[in-house]
Amino acid sequence: MQNPYIPMPVEVVKIVTEVDSKDIKTFRLAFVNKEDEERFRYLPGQFAELSILGKGECPIGIASSPTETGYIEFTVQRAGTLVAGMVTTALHDLDVGARIGVRGPLGNAWPLEYLEGKDVVVVGGGFAFTTLRSLIHYMLHEKNRSRFGDISVIYGARTPGLLCYKDELTAWECRKDLRMFVTVDKGDDAWKGRTGFVPAVCREVAPGADGPTCSEFTPSAENAVAVICGPPIMIRYTLPVFFELGFSKENIITSLEMRMKCGIGKCGRCNVGEKYVCKDGPIFSVAELDKLTREY
Amino acid sequence: MFKKVTLEKRIDFVSALMEKGPLFAPVKGEKDFEFQRITDPSVVTLDFYNTSMSPKFVFFPQSEDLIRYRLVKNGAESAPVPIDTPPSVILGVRPCDAKSFEIMDRHFLGAGVIDPYWKERRDKTTVIGYPFDPRTQPDPADFYNALGIRAADTAGSDVLMIRRDGDLLLKSLTEKGSGLLTDLALSDGSADDERAFEEILREGNDLRSRFLEIQDSEIAGKLSRIFEDKDFWEKTAEACIGCGICTFVCPTCYCFDISDETLFNEGMRKRFWDACMFTDFTLEASGHNPRPKIFQRYRQKVCHKYAYHVGKYGCISCVGCGRCTRACPVNIDIFSVIEKALKR
Repeated sequence: MQNPYIPMPVEVVKIVTEVDSKDIKTFRLAFVNKEDEERFRYLPGQFAELSILGKGECPIGIASSPTETGYIEFTVQRAGTLVAGMVTTALHDLDVGARIGVRGPLGNAWPLEYLEGKDVVVVGGGFAFTTLRSLIHYMLHEKNRSRFGDISVIYGARTPGLLCYKDELTAWECRKDLRMFVTVDKGDDAWKGRTGFVPAVCREVAPGADGPTCSEFTPSAENAVAVICGPPIMIRYTLPVFFELGFSKENIITSLEMRMKCGIGKCGRCNVGEKYVCKDGPIFSVAELDKLTREY
Repeated sequence: MFKKVTLEKRIDFVSALMEKGPLFAPVKGEKDFEFQRITDPSVVTLDFYNTSMSPKFVFFPQSEDLIRYRLVKNGAESAPVPIDTPPSVILGVRPCDAKSFEIMDRHFLGAGVIDPYWKERRDKTTVIGYPFDPRTQPDPADFYNALGIRAADTAGSDVLMIRRDGDLLLKSLTEKGSGLLTDLALSDGSADDERAFEEILREGNDLRSRFLEIQDSEIAGKLSRIFEDKDFWEKTAEACIGCGICTFVCPTCYCFDISDETLFNEGMRKRFWDACMFTDFTLEASGHNPRPKIFQRYRQKVCHKYAYHVGKYGCISCVGCGRCTRACPVNIDIFSVIEKALKR
């Protein structure tokens, strides 16, 4: 029997500093043992426990897509404004070549089968864009693109320097098979793009919207699903927009965060009502969240 | 299989059990009785009501070594600590505690993920249950009857041991139990002993502890309806100081922490009992805490046992052993909380 508490060894093969503030980095990890790589079969939306012996473990969403092979990627913010983020701080101090551990994949995935045949609007804010990036990569892959309808991506950050995956955003903006809307709360002199909060942009361009830039190519809300991940304040103001646009609660999907230790539904700390976010989640529809206690 | 040992020979009996492997049994401590790993057979006592800590630690120790490591440049050399338990025995488990093992099985062996540490110890351990004596008054804090557990229930035990006059009568209930009794080469009990044994089981069916009609689905539904009743929960938890003792003595509390302990360059990743009553239990690195207030944490504890566990695993995760009530420094009594909740 595989012991679910023992991490698999991985090597850090690439580190990218994503933002101007330098506190968000993407770590590319390669499995030391081939059989571990084969065992680590994941889908967009899942997470893993990153393990640094001597410091501990922390749960991080998988930013790479299963369509990218040979490695897995995690985008990690160094935590510790109020509480010391021991593991994330240690991660940020790593160099290429360091060996750490990974346990996973853990949790459920974005509901890919449910999204099939539907128009998908991906809404992300700040660095909570990580598992959405995985989803976008997955859906855009040549083997998968035809399974999904119209794909729109609405991604915002406070400033241009805080946008993650900048090269990919540029590449996606050039594609014809998705509608890409990148926005910042406040631009700078070099910023030529959109300015505005994510909920406002959603109201203008999401499926079902009739903003000035919408056209006959803007899909209706009828067959559309919104996949939303971002800071609580963004989610709070974005949800009413989608209700107004006509999205049902079943068709608005988000991902929860809670403090976790085991990641496999045993240690008892990440429950919301009778659901363990690590195992029954982290992904829930708003309809599912409505059935739970508001304790997250 | 039905066997008998005279009380005079109980030390020989305990010694014989110790030869089979590690033995855990009740011992009189300075203040209370506790289950302990036995090294001297003469310290084992069967004259106890119940222990202050539950015997869950036999399967789920307060601290468990997971990974041994040595920090080196760019990483660590590490090896999992082998999960390897010799066949063990717990002697003298009260029916409410024996039942708790089955409730914990649903969690540690269920929901699609098996906890290898719990499984190994459960598989290798034989439980000798020990009904409450019908001639002894139950402790006023106990309410196991309200959870459908009777003083002489067999659930969770491999062997049931009953004291009758000058004898210990032992009946096997499972294959593991018969295996142990066969190995011990004890003398057979007579037909008369067996009749007396059955009579004591029957007497155990009488209601004895505090009682309240509790239906699993009814209390679960009720608690979810009053979840937002802040007045009720604030009042209930008013005296609570969040010390967590209720969870530590509890036979069905299973929350744990995983943490690394390093001294110089060597260390151990361990898991430890943790408690939902502590502030930092749910405190996130961002500073956000979904349960910052004591009433929220107390509500979590009660709802976990009487509502969430019912929804997830189909049973209440409380056995009415009364330990939390006896241990609470501010006299919070979960039985009264449930009683009040039902009337709400």
